[in-house]
Amino acid sequence: MAKNTAVGIILIFSLVILCNGIVSAQATTPPPQTFGTTIYFDYTSYLSKNGPVTSTAKNNFFAFRRAYFTYENKINDNLKFRFRYDADNTANLTSVDIKTGSTKKDDKLRPFMKHLYLEYSNLLPNSAIRVGMTETIQFKLAEDKWGYRSVAKTLMDGYKDVTGVEVNAPSADLGASLTGSLAKYIRYGFMISSGNGYSHPENDQYKKLAAQIQLIPLAGFSLVGYLDTEKQDKDNSATTYKLDGYFEMVKNLILGAEYFVYKNDKYLTPDQMRYDVSGFSLFGRYVFSPDVFALFARFDKNEPNNTVQNDEISLAIAGLDWAPFHKSMKLQPNIWYVTYANSAKKDDVIFNLTFFLSF
Amino acid sequence: MKRFSAPIALGLAAMAIVLMAAPAQKSKMIQIKGSDTMVNLVQILAEEYMGKNPGTALAVLGGGSGTGITAIINQTCDIANHSREWRQKEIDQAWEKGVQPRFFVIAVDGLSMIVHESNPLEKLTMTELGAIYRGEVKNWKAVGGPDKKVSLYGRQSNSGTYVFMQEHVLGNKNYSTDMKEMNGNAQIIEGILQDEGAIGYVGVGYLFDKDGKVRKGLKVLNVAKDSKSPAFSPLDKAAVDNGNYPVARPLYQATNGKPNAAQAAFIAFETGPEGQRIVEREGFFTIGAKHKEMNDKNLR
Repeated sequence: MAKNTAVGIILIFSLVILCNGIVSAQATTPPPQTFGTTIYFDYTSYLSKNGPVTSTAKNNFFAFRRAYFTYENKINDNLKFRFRYDADNTANLTSVDIKTGSTKKDDKLRPFMKHLYLEYSNLLPNSAIRVGMTETIQFKLAEDKWGYRSVAKTLMDGYKDVTGVEVNAPSADLGASLTGSLAKYIRYGFMISSGNGYSHPENDQYKKLAAQIQLIPLAGFSLVGYLDTEKQDKDNSATTYKLDGYFEMVKNLILGAEYFVYKNDKYLTPDQMRYDVSGFSLFGRYVFSPDVFALFARFDKNEPNNTVQNDEISLAIAGLDWAPFHKSMKLQPNIWYVTYANSAKKDDVIFNLTFFLSF
Repeated sequence: MKRFSAPIALGLAAMAIVLMAAPAQKSKMIQIKGSDTMVNLVQILAEEYMGKNPGTALAVLGGGSGTGITAIINQTCDIANHSREWRQKEIDQAWEKGVQPRFFVIAVDGLSMIVHESNPLEKLTMTELGAIYRGEVKNWKAVGGPDKKVSLYGRQSNSGTYVFMQEHVLGNKNYSTDMKEMNGNAQIIEGILQDEGAIGYVGVGYLFDKDGKVRKGLKVLNVAKDSKSPAFSPLDKAAVDNGNYPVARPLYQATNGKPNAAQAAFIAFETGPEGQRIVEREGFFTIGAKHKEMNDKNLR
């Protein structure tokens, strides 16, 4: 009961702040409004033939992965509104032909809501409060530093895609967040959210609580600690621990490292033992010419179950980022090399020519 | 472990290429971006500099002070032009990304309050100016002018001039919703020339015609710190230099750390005697001893 009251107070407090912003917004400058679109799609070719992913007859294809449409409205110097549609074709729907009554798979690109939030800045000095369907703080920083979401999701974001194991890491969720800085050496972030992400309605009464602290003792050198927890039911919880490090002390070079452990009390081995899911990622990119040419590389190691031998999966990615005409259109050829500790599984080697469009 | 040797090797090899590439990069052209108030001045300085130094190449773009500061933080330009100081958020972002800016003042701008030439008003106090731009004064009669509705002209919010005015004149409060947000100084002037009730603010360098006189159709208002102080004109260099004109500001450039030889040579040209002659010719004010000292220190 006390927890529910606390959640209610937080949300009411956030809404009061935002309502204040809206009221004051009515007496301010007409807003600058922006529209933006980002699209990425791939031509993919399997260079190996016997891996778990590549042992299919379809060994080369075009795939449309993401189409974002973003509208932002800066209502005044403190208040901003963001609306972002995303689109993919993973809905896996079945449609019925009205003439024949026959059914067929319908996997057109379909839009869905990704972000829908209000942001109020500087209630506390150098801070931002967001309420609504908002970006989570779990790997936003890692994604910014990696810089190639168009090529690959970051470690936790893409964990389920690579290993098939859920680590509850949605990129957006319904709730409220507070992010900010205390002088230039310390950043903080807090979030309370449904825990179900942007693709599902909340299915229980428990909330996900997340906190992050980023220390920047030297210009261009960051250490980040992250923790989140959510009750799964009356007796069980899920918790994520994450540590990041980023090095940007050499001009145009970014090196990053991520490590996480996910503990879910409901994840049990056949003999009812709890186990941990974990992984680490190392990445780097070097910009030869800003907005024109860069190289990037990454190595991830995923441990889906710490009680099982030889279930690790490693992923190496290398590629280049080239904008031949304009920074709005980039070609990002890249190779993925996936290796499985289980010797029964052969390596997957995949070439992608990623097209990145932003306007 | 054997199973992972190939991807580890690939990952390490790619990382090694990225790392080895790092020291090799050199930029040929100096990219300068930022303040719209400064863009014309810096373009002229760059042209004169390139004329005297064949083989050098500089590209100067506007976009607003915020755009220039973001570009230097993201390392997509070499020099940022900005007509306001950096915000704390920008300083924090730079620190996180390993950018340690060095600042240079290349000129001083008396931000000029201009009205249509038919307006008989000669001066305003800072308090009156703030009230006008916050929308609290809607008729010129309230500040000793004609019985005519006030028509506000200003800049869009990514402009350093917009922010400078907001901080120094509006007391950090919001602009009136009635203000027309123009894309540049030239658009503000065009608006005022056609609007008898207009007031706007522009960099002093934008006031003059080809003959070096204030453009026909405009009147430059004198501004007083308060009702008890005398009012001064932004065209009065001594008043701007000694701080009596209350809406004066330094025009800055920032580099990512210590400027390299090519960047330092251009900044030294801008802040040296030749550059300062151009600054004066273009209607801005030359820098004083305090700014010279700061520039010299940051060039070293």
